[in-house]
Amino acid sequence: MIENFKQVYEKRHEYAKDWKIKHPNQKMVGYMCTYFPEEIMYAAGVLPVRILGSHEPQNVTEPHVFGMFCPFSRDVLAQGLEGRYNYIDAVATAYPCMHLQQAFYSWVLHVTPKYFAVDMPNMVQSPHAFPFLVGLLEDFKGQVEEWVGKKIMDDDLRAAIAVYNEYRSLLRQVYETRKAPSPPLTGVEAMYMTAASQFMDKKDAIKLLKEVLEKELPGRSVKDDSASRLMMVGSEDDDIKFMQMVEGFNAVIVVDDHCTGSRYFWNQAVSNGSPIESIAKRYIDRPVCPQRDYPERKRLTHILNLARDWNVNGAIVIQQKFCDPHELDKVALLKFLRENGITTVYLEFDVTVPMGQFRIRVEAFLESLQEEGIL
Amino acid sequence: MITAGIDMGAAFAKMVILKDGKVIGKGISKVTLDPDEAVQTVQVAALKDAGIKPEEIERICVTGSGRKLFKNAHVSVTDVTADAAGTNYLDKTIKTVIDVGGEEARAMKVSEEGKVINFAVNDKCAAGAGAFIEAMTRALELPLADFAAYSLRSTQKIPINAQCTIFAESEVVTLINELVPREDICRSVHEGISERISSMAKRVGIEEKVGLIGGPANNHGLVAALKNSLGMEILVLPEPEYVSALGAALIAARKEEG
Amino acid sequence: MEKKHKTAPIKLWEKAKELRLNVYRDIAEAKSKGKLLIGGGTESLIAVPTGFDHAYLGGEPYGASIAFMHRENPALYQQILEASDYAGYPRDLCAYMRSYIGSVLLDKYIFGGSFPKLDFNLQAGFCDTHCKWYQITSEIKGIPYFAIEMLPFQWEIEGESEKVKKLKIDYIANQILDAIEWMIKTTGRKFDDEKFIQGCKNEFESTSLWAKICTLNRAIPAPVDEKSMFSFYILAVLARPKQEVVEFYRELLAEVQERVDNQIAANPYERFRILSDSQPPWFGLDIYRLLDRYGVVSLGAHYTLGLSGGWEYSKEEDTWNPARTPQERGVLLKTREDAARALSEWWLKTGTVCRGVRYSGAGKNKRILDLADKWRANGVIIHLNRGCEGTGAGQMEIVAALLKKGIPTLTYEGNHADAREYDEARTISRLESFMETLGLKKIY
Repeated sequence: MIENFKQVYEKRHEYAKDWKIKHPNQKMVGYMCTYFPEEIMYAAGVLPVRILGSHEPQNVTEPHVFGMFCPFSRDVLAQGLEGRYNYIDAVATAYPCMHLQQAFYSWVLHVTPKYFAVDMPNMVQSPHAFPFLVGLLEDFKGQVEEWVGKKIMDDDLRAAIAVYNEYRSLLRQVYETRKAPSPPLTGVEAMYMTAASQFMDKKDAIKLLKEVLEKELPGRSVKDDSASRLMMVGSEDDDIKFMQMVEGFNAVIVVDDHCTGSRYFWNQAVSNGSPIESIAKRYIDRPVCPQRDYPERKRLTHILNLARDWNVNGAIVIQQKFCDPHELDKVALLKFLRENGITTVYLEFDVTVPMGQFRIRVEAFLESLQEEGIL
Repeated sequence: MITAGIDMGAAFAKMVILKDGKVIGKGISKVTLDPDEAVQTVQVAALKDAGIKPEEIERICVTGSGRKLFKNAHVSVTDVTADAAGTNYLDKTIKTVIDVGGEEARAMKVSEEGKVINFAVNDKCAAGAGAFIEAMTRALELPLADFAAYSLRSTQKIPINAQCTIFAESEVVTLINELVPREDICRSVHEGISERISSMAKRVGIEEKVGLIGGPANNHGLVAALKNSLGMEILVLPEPEYVSALGAALIAARKEEG
Repeated sequence: MEKKHKTAPIKLWEKAKELRLNVYRDIAEAKSKGKLLIGGGTESLIAVPTGFDHAYLGGEPYGASIAFMHRENPALYQQILEASDYAGYPRDLCAYMRSYIGSVLLDKYIFGGSFPKLDFNLQAGFCDTHCKWYQITSEIKGIPYFAIEMLPFQWEIEGESEKVKKLKIDYIANQILDAIEWMIKTTGRKFDDEKFIQGCKNEFESTSLWAKICTLNRAIPAPVDEKSMFSFYILAVLARPKQEVVEFYRELLAEVQERVDNQIAANPYERFRILSDSQPPWFGLDIYRLLDRYGVVSLGAHYTLGLSGGWEYSKEEDTWNPARTPQERGVLLKTREDAARALSEWWLKTGTVCRGVRYSGAGKNKRILDLADKWRANGVIIHLNRGCEGTGAGQMEIVAALLKKGIPTLTYEGNHADAREYDEARTISRLESFMETLGLKKIY
């Protein structure tokens, strides 16, 4: 069951192509940011699949994106330029950040001409952001209707919201199990589940999640309570090899705040007026990424709450090289965590990482947790 | 007419002497902290090879990153122009030239007449070429000639970071500590550099025939990796380390220059 | 080589300098004169606080001023940047912001004394950095701050609906009104709506006038070169809501027109015209002098021409022209709400540089190609600016688009405000290579 998620993670394109064969009359959209309002596409019968990089060196993006833009954005674009997503019918994003946004527009120029760009507001704390987003999503709904050639009814939206909410609720339940002193799954396994489900029809993910919760996790224990309990905080990260290395020590990753992880699914769309309004509220209220965390800093408290609720001993702050939004927050974040008793280690990531050097740092970090008598 | 071209590179100074358009002598010298020494040494070597006296040289053209250190040139041109001239002289059908140097790699799109249509150079985030390989030969305790041969015997592909030399070096150290066979590490190094070079070269729009010049072009392992990375055949020009100096010597002979 | 054109210095040079100094004098004297001292970005809504008597310390120009210190006071310059490094701000972040943060952390104002005691910061988030810059510095200094999100229109060819455009106008206008209420509450001062309305009108006219001045550079020979333009565009950046800037640009427009009418050139040897792109390396402006020696004139950049707005798209002509102000269109601004809405709409419609920070691809390519065409540029030199990823957005695609049109294009890597990231020798070498490919030699 967790293995099924791993299979989808590793063979995401096969899954997608298979879905297309099974649903010949339905479209598929590749999207780049977790702020993208998937529910609206889903309500139209379109399957949204997240576009992530492949953690491989590549040589195709330099003519398109400045080398100083983050490796993730270039890795994402490389997938398109290499033809790996030639099965999608459109590409989409909500405003992610400057780097990924540029990768998106290069994708539109060279890979998939049909596109949707939802101008998700950054200033989610403004009272004007919500009505703005509602209007934007209404307009977006109209664009999708035109594309698929049929109206999206409120009932369609409610049904899509219900599916997504159920998925989010189940994944939250999985995360809840990781609060246990001896967690039933590793961080790597949780990553497979979260990342893979972003490539899947949520109905398929729900089926698997239910099986995992009912049949696989009960009675399971991957580490005993002597293991250091860690959280991962940062930008996009699905670096499986790194996480495997960390959990190769007497450590387990129990929770995260990053955009391939919990930020994707954390909150539900609560019924709030019309379905569009419910969806808008959900995206306004969800755990933010840094460039949306102003004027007041709300993100840090959310991260600290996660750390406390999951009884975290230490945090690994993972920073995509050149990622401006996270670099802007990083000083405040590290200070805040340390002031609140969470030991941190800060690591800079690329699409591949120097495992030897990182192993030394992680090992030293884990030793420092022991010395602090935290364990 | 006897002309000379001097390529004051970051790692080596090269000199080519032409008589009526034909190569009569060549010299090469390592560049140390005293660049004058390299200039002297390379001139002595080239003149000896040509069997002529210094005063017989009528015009000198200098190129390379250190060209401003050479004071007695009649003409000074940048590497881009010299590379194109030298390559065009050797093979007019080459449309894309890739020059891999010690610190920098560059790519040029050239016309049949040897005119540069467009060029690109490695930017900061993807710098490092021959010098990086040399550093890795020391890390792996292998002479350069063996480094190339080892890489060609590799049986497994281990990707390392293709963009940043610093990160790439870190990854190589990890591989060494993990007792990965040297053959595979050598191949990884070549593939990493090749990815950077071909990534940069794609900015000019690669058109065949592709010619490869610069000292590191003598490294068969790197050449194999580059061919694979570009997905096409590459012609390594004869004595590739001298092509830029040759181009400079040809430019010196052009009456309209200077 | 003989000079092809006559040339003459620009008469308004000294006046421009005086107006720039006025801005900094205002900042220095604000407190003693009982004015508010406000900080924030300049590529934003600096007209918003014009209802108060105030002076405004703009973060980006201050960052550029720090960059100029690189040669004058290298030790202080190094100290400032290192202060930001040591505090943990990575070096690939916006160089203006890092310089500003360093100055705040050291409590050193580069014009002398401690960092000014600002009453509050006004943050306008049009790029990822600007969304956080003043949050960070307000925390360091413990001063209040208010944020407005500036969410641009998409490029015209994207076909954004009128409905969404209206949503964006309302979104920004409402935030402006909130900002004004907040400023009143925070300062306890009265906000003069008439002054605010006039500040907005001045902003519209200043930026439109600057666009008209830049348009005159389509002439052959170009009357003004980019290096000179930097001394003039900065007034729009620093103080476009001020009446004196409007009046200055009216005079400058007349002078530049006179230069066009009399064929007075910026470069008497003009034989090759280029556009640039992005901010220049502020400590490396010698490269313009190098270009001069080749008879190459830089006509400006999308950045120089349009940083503070002032360009509107004409569907009929399929190009961008100096924007007609609301005043010119007969739109009356009677209330604070009218002005807020007009200011929002102006920024959205005419702010193509800030738009290009978020939206690249076909839309931004078209903007730059249009500039190259209308300004009769023979080539383009693009600064791949490691210090500003906003202006860097889409640059590589722009290179490809220009080359496809047969326009020779060069890129060089640098940084507009962090000299440690700028390799002058390498840049000169690239420029020389480019000149060689164009068949140009130095004239003098």
